[in-house]
Amino acid sequence: MTLHENITRPFSENEVSEKNTVPAQIEFRGVTKMYGAVAAVKNLSLAVRRGEFLTILGPSGSGKTTVLMLLAGFVAPTKGDILIAGKSVASVPSYRRDQGIVFQSYALFPHLTVRRNLEFPLEMRGMKASDRAVQVDRMLERVHLKEFGGRVPSQLSGGQQQRVALSRALIADPPLLLLDEPLGALDRNLREQMQGEIKSLHREFGKTTICVTHDQEEALTLSDRIVVMRAGEIEQTDTPEALYDRPATQFVANFMGEANALENCGFKVESDAAPPLGTVAMLRPERICVAARGAQRRADADQRQFVTGVVEDMIYAGPLRKYQVRAGDSVLIVREHVAAGQQIFRPGDEVRLDWLRSDVRFVTA
Amino acid sequence: MKTLREFGRMPIALTGPALAVLLVVFGIPIVQLFLTSFNAPAFSTGNYKAFFGQPANVRVLFQTIEISVVATAICLLIGYPTAYLIVAASKRLRMALIVLVLVPYLTSGLVVTYAWIVILGDGGLINNLLVDHGLISSPLPLIYNRMAVYIGMVHIMLPMMILPLVSAMMGIDKSLMAAARSMGARPATAFWRVFFPLSMPGVRSGCLLVFVVCLGFYIAPAALGGLGDAMLSTFIASQVRSSFDMGRVAASAFVLLAVAIVVLSMVGLDLSGTSRRTAQPSLKSWHRLGEFFISYRAKRWIAQLYRAGGDGRWPQLVGIMFLALVMFYLLFPEVLVVIMSFSAGKYLQFPPSGFSLQWYESFFGDPSWYAAAWMSIQIGFMVVILSTIIGTLAAFGLNRALPRLRSFLTMAMLTPITFPVIVVGIATYLGLLKLGLLGSMTGIVLAHTIGAIGYVLVIVSASLANFDPQLEQAAMSMRAGPLQTFMRVTLPLIRPGIIGGAVFAFLHSFDEVVITSLVGGISMRTLPLKMWEDIRHQIDPTIAAVATLFILLPLVVLMILFVAGWRSTLGLQRARPVPAA
Repeated sequence: MTLHENITRPFSENEVSEKNTVPAQIEFRGVTKMYGAVAAVKNLSLAVRRGEFLTILGPSGSGKTTVLMLLAGFVAPTKGDILIAGKSVASVPSYRRDQGIVFQSYALFPHLTVRRNLEFPLEMRGMKASDRAVQVDRMLERVHLKEFGGRVPSQLSGGQQQRVALSRALIADPPLLLLDEPLGALDRNLREQMQGEIKSLHREFGKTTICVTHDQEEALTLSDRIVVMRAGEIEQTDTPEALYDRPATQFVANFMGEANALENCGFKVESDAAPPLGTVAMLRPERICVAARGAQRRADADQRQFVTGVVEDMIYAGPLRKYQVRAGDSVLIVREHVAAGQQIFRPGDEVRLDWLRSDVRFVTA
Repeated sequence: MKTLREFGRMPIALTGPALAVLLVVFGIPIVQLFLTSFNAPAFSTGNYKAFFGQPANVRVLFQTIEISVVATAICLLIGYPTAYLIVAASKRLRMALIVLVLVPYLTSGLVVTYAWIVILGDGGLINNLLVDHGLISSPLPLIYNRMAVYIGMVHIMLPMMILPLVSAMMGIDKSLMAAARSMGARPATAFWRVFFPLSMPGVRSGCLLVFVVCLGFYIAPAALGGLGDAMLSTFIASQVRSSFDMGRVAASAFVLLAVAIVVLSMVGLDLSGTSRRTAQPSLKSWHRLGEFFISYRAKRWIAQLYRAGGDGRWPQLVGIMFLALVMFYLLFPEVLVVIMSFSAGKYLQFPPSGFSLQWYESFFGDPSWYAAAWMSIQIGFMVVILSTIIGTLAAFGLNRALPRLRSFLTMAMLTPITFPVIVVGIATYLGLLKLGLLGSMTGIVLAHTIGAIGYVLVIVSASLANFDPQLEQAAMSMRAGPLQTFMRVTLPLIRPGIIGGAVFAFLHSFDEVVITSLVGGISMRTLPLKMWEDIRHQIDPTIAAVATLFILLPLVVLMILFVAGWRSTLGLQRARPVPAA
């Protein structure tokens, strides 16, 4: 009876209320994990839908890895309960849970070939050798590693090891996939490629996936929802777009990309509504337009705020050009996409900045 | 189920068997020995007063310290440049040189001592050659003096100095020397300001290890020294044989132990850390050996860098000559014994007058020899089984214990191989006496096991430290239970360490003389014991045949280690990715 209740129990958190018909696959209920006197995770409650790709994002020491270790069963919660598919798993050892994990170091068995690594989870589930071979062949083909089955992990490149680790986590078809900083060890180009690979595997297998990372770009590209953690507590949970566009706190605003805080800036920040108490006005650098001092105003000028300033520095970064502009008492960062026929400003140039009043966000300090 | 997991969370319990054996055979007896030295329960310092009251005893004590200091200093003076030259050598040469240092390291001290008797003795090689060529009429007094003691001790201890030094020097970040040079430091300046300070940990652990072992030296001074060169161990052993006033013996033993402990604490290192680093030079160098196969070019570049920046051929030539001399010193006595064992003459001669297997026939034809050999092999295998199981369990327990507890327990469990051997011998004698196992094979097995556990512990711990615990988590996440995880993942990966530990346990047992002579009684005669007695009584060339077998043993050992450890070491370190497909 309780079991049934748990499965169909609607979400209480408002951020998922719009989809409360889908049952939760994973639920954290007031989970606290203490290491000695230090709380790595404080009273954490969280629900993850079936098939969802959820990323736990935070700086090091925010408790995100502990959340993953709790879910994997490598550490037990000090307080609270964790439910998977409605059943409490707080006292279930990790080898009785059904999950695939991709470790940060990949944790590929160095003494086994790629094939034997992939066979391992199947073997542990008691699958026959002939069936295993079929499965492994299929998986190797899927991740384009067919000719590498006989190698040991150390003979593979980083990207190949990463793909083996992913395959090994997926091959036994566990309902839950856990990724621990899955792309941390790869260089930039490979990382983008593997982001695509993970996304397509997620689409294909539809696993409920929990990913832990400190890389906000990784979180933004991969996730259905992102949980931002800070000092063992959840700071904000939202979709990537909402999180970036409407951060709730200054911490989230700064952690998810760059933000200009319009505080004591020497000019009055115009806004459509009165700013809520205890908040700071925040503006993303790419929302600011830069133009020459006397340039013609655009048609929507009545919805914009204009300030003047002096360019202090200009940085060229490929597709972007970044200006630091002193306006009033503060230095604003402005990010502009490089385009043909654009006017380029140099340090010392006087410029006019403008932005839509509706682009100003108010975040909790 | 729940209790089983609770137990699993108490990994320290795995150290139980090791602690039990150590306590019963060694730990409790040494405490009793300490109490006895103070005449417990009456408690008086009478025995110590008696010890220091006799000027002869004090002289032996200072002589022991003096000999140890001098031997350590000689080892450092020869060992440091040797280690430097080994590290600076090209990849292949370096590997060959390390193997050449490992052979005497693994050779029994008894055999080395025998070789020097053969060379320096009145009827020995040098005197024979000189007399035969009419250069002298009566033998020179080459043996039974302080010089001979130093020659023998330095020979035995030099590898123990070189290996930690090589290990420390190879751990020095090579780009630091280049950086110093780029900042305008001349080669010598770069060496003294950068390389030398960074090699100090190796110097420290090498000196400490050599000094403490020297303090407990027994065989070499007894066999090569004169009456005036007695060391405390010799003195204690004769005390045991003559009077057996336990209080007196205990006091002497603790004076020796006190010197060792004072030195250890003066150097300011905690015993556990030191022993961990120092007691495993062979393992470390064996890991280093694996590294030779990778990044050849980088090391080669270093080799050129170290070669003192084109200061001409002379330094290089001096270096080669120095290395050749050291290697000759380390290996010639062994080679000599092997050659002489095939001699056709009636007594030992060099060069041999002809080839014959007569001494091997005499070995296998004499029941007292081959029975001794058989007994040593039996004991060795029992020690291996016992200590490998107990030691590996303990290593696991300690690996998962809290750091403070770990270092304390490691320190405690290594005392049988860090304390002077004569002290361990007397304590073990007392322990086995209580158990009624003196003069029995079980007794000897236990006596050897307490030391062997230390070797297994150190070597298995080292391979566990390199083991990534995430691999176990990965296995568990794939539904492998604790036992399956251990059998399929953990064990295969630390197997080289376990085999290494087993091999060292066997060597420890097979070479042991001092403790065995104390606890073996009259009936138990192991091979080294029989050899030791024969060396003292006669120079029977059969000993050369036995010694040859002892010299071949390290070669077999190196091969076993190669097969067991290197492949996987190589496999793990071949992390150079193949070009991506």
